[in-house]
Amino acid sequence: MAFAEYAWLIPIFPLIAFVVIGFLGNRLFKKWEGGAPVAILMTAISLVLALAVAFEALTTGDGTPFVQSLEWLVVQSGEFNFTFNMGIYIDNLSALMLIVVAFISTLVVIYSLGYMHEEGEKKRRYYAVISLFISVMLGLVLASNFLQMFIFWELVGLCSYLLIGFWNTRPSAASAAKKAFLVTRIGDIMFMIGLFVFFIGFQGNLDYTHIFNNVDAFVGGDALLTFGTLMIFGGAIGKSAQFPLHDWLPDAMEGPTTVSALIHAATMVKAGVYLVARSYPVMVETPDTMLFIAFIGGFTALFAATMALNNTNIKRVLAYSTVSQLGYMFLALGAGGYIYYYHADFNVGYAAGTFHLMNHAFFKALLFLSAGAVIHAAHTEDMRLMGGLSKKLKITSLVMLIGCISIAGIPPFSGFWSKDLVLEAAFEGIQYNGLFILLYAFGLITAFLTAFYMFRLWFLTFAGKPRDQHTYDHAHEAPKVMWVPLAILAVLAFGSGFAFLMGFESVLVPGLEGFVPHEASAVDLLVAVFTNILTYASILAAVLGIGLAYLVYYKGTINPAVFTATPARKAMSNVLLARYGFTKAYDWFGLKVIYGISKVVDFIDRRIIDGLINGISAGLIRAGGFLRRGQTGFVQSYAAVIVAGVSLIVILLFYVGGVI
Amino acid sequence: MIPIEYFLALSGILFVIGALGVLTKKNAIVVLMSVEVMLNAANINFVAFSAFYGSLNGAIFALVSIAIAAAEVAVGLAIIMNLYKTRDTISLNKINLLRW
Repeated sequence: MAFAEYAWLIPIFPLIAFVVIGFLGNRLFKKWEGGAPVAILMTAISLVLALAVAFEALTTGDGTPFVQSLEWLVVQSGEFNFTFNMGIYIDNLSALMLIVVAFISTLVVIYSLGYMHEEGEKKRRYYAVISLFISVMLGLVLASNFLQMFIFWELVGLCSYLLIGFWNTRPSAASAAKKAFLVTRIGDIMFMIGLFVFFIGFQGNLDYTHIFNNVDAFVGGDALLTFGTLMIFGGAIGKSAQFPLHDWLPDAMEGPTTVSALIHAATMVKAGVYLVARSYPVMVETPDTMLFIAFIGGFTALFAATMALNNTNIKRVLAYSTVSQLGYMFLALGAGGYIYYYHADFNVGYAAGTFHLMNHAFFKALLFLSAGAVIHAAHTEDMRLMGGLSKKLKITSLVMLIGCISIAGIPPFSGFWSKDLVLEAAFEGIQYNGLFILLYAFGLITAFLTAFYMFRLWFLTFAGKPRDQHTYDHAHEAPKVMWVPLAILAVLAFGSGFAFLMGFESVLVPGLEGFVPHEASAVDLLVAVFTNILTYASILAAVLGIGLAYLVYYKGTINPAVFTATPARKAMSNVLLARYGFTKAYDWFGLKVIYGISKVVDFIDRRIIDGLINGISAGLIRAGGFLRRGQTGFVQSYAAVIVAGVSLIVILLFYVGGVI
Repeated sequence: MIPIEYFLALSGILFVIGALGVLTKKNAIVVLMSVEVMLNAANINFVAFSAFYGSLNGAIFALVSIAIAAAEVAVGLAIIMNLYKTRDTISLNKINLLRW
């Protein structure tokens, strides 16, 4: 473990970039693109280190994680002693996350050089916060215990708030940032409750190594453990924008597109999936939680996909697709854990979830950055004003097509391999619980919908005739600094799926008893995939989706107007555009319920508590005003008081004290 | 020898006269004089007890007290002079500076 010793440096480098850019002033960085070179250099250094560490962990590790930690907080109070550690924990999962996060972050920062070029002095803030964002996400991945993870978890939330609200003079951006912060905060509180449960149950030790090796030693029974894991998953619901806390993610599109790419592909939303995958050894002990995870995942996948169907904002479509794809990951993880509980042997769920996480990171980063290039060129996010842009944006349209094919799941693009595994995991669950029939169906329908809306997006943006001549005339290909990262991502979005043939399943294992993957050659795996009828079902779903999009939005055989032709269809379409009323419901809840409670609290605070204090002080002031009239200023009256007082003392001494 | 009670009675009477003068008179100089009467009542006490116990301590205290009284009168008269210069009066019921 030569490199792993230095793994703690990985989050330090971007942190240095944050400090340098954030605190060394505007004047220094005005000529330097607001500090972009520093941010790029530092993230690149941590990328190199992360790749070295990850490569080492994936190739030389024997399955035992590398752990290094320092005592951070020691509490000794008689019968209750505990220690919080700060450290790093490297296993195959964190190695995978390191690659994904560091790699995509570096590309995004490089891409920002072109995309954020026109932002002027605000660039410095952008590069400072994005460096911090990368740093804390890397820290989250490397954390060695749940408390440390939680700290970074909150910091990730803070950074996303700062970046979503980057254009803080825009009211919509400011409120989107607040929404993202508050909605994920609901999840954070659940996560914290889960940590309390773990803290009690595992006797004050939140280290991964301790918890994962002593799951049976949990104090408090199965019900409490189920509650704890459910609450931990609640944190993931908030961070990964799952139903019903999904509503912040589409609004988070108010930030710069680069930030969206980072949030959707590498940081933030992946933290939730990582959390579930990380706590897998605990989670698998509670099948109810696992079933719940699978159900929420499967439902969200379908639910979010429907909202992407008729949206006309290019970034929002991608945002819904992220929510939907994250649902896939949870579906796979949940299904895998549920199956493992009843049959402690290898199953594909865990590998499917993490594999989809990786592939999704690449193709979603690609899609978002391509969308960024389109927005950069067209100066609009509305797809109704685009069309025909492939003539102007040749490279962008090509790489985006690769991304679309990948997410739609056409072999041999990367999305195909992992989505197929996800569906396989869901299908395998049917033997253990009938609910998985439904979830498998959700997954399959989602595959169809995904292919449809992604190609709708592509056709509307790039194909056909320009619908807005002005936009079309001003469109131009992105600069080199933008399309080179796109090209790199396109290669990965195409090729990262081949990791499956290289034995992804047998490398990425959650370290559970009996969970031993069968060593299989690439040929065996290929045969297994393509002799399975399910594979063809998912391919068919994807092809049907693409075909429908082609007929409607390219050939025009079917007029898009048929979707809103009858009042019922029109109403349905409006429901989708209104996001099933969730936004309204949240607003209603916030404005009426929370605001009402706040008003009551405000009344108590202002009238009762403040009133009491103010009343006392006002009374004292009035009493003072009355008493000061005794101060006449005449010396003789003072003397009279003194004489009277002395006389009184003498009399008292005489009669009461008996002195004389 | 005159019994000590007579001295004490005289001292008490003088003190009360002085005190009443301080409290009731409006003229600052009369008040100052009344203060001197009270001081002298105390001096009589000192001297009387000095003789009664056959010790000179009390007599010496009386001498110190007389010296201080002389200084006090000098200061007091100077204050009254200045008061008269600035306010054209030494009537105490017109002077109420010692107020909030």
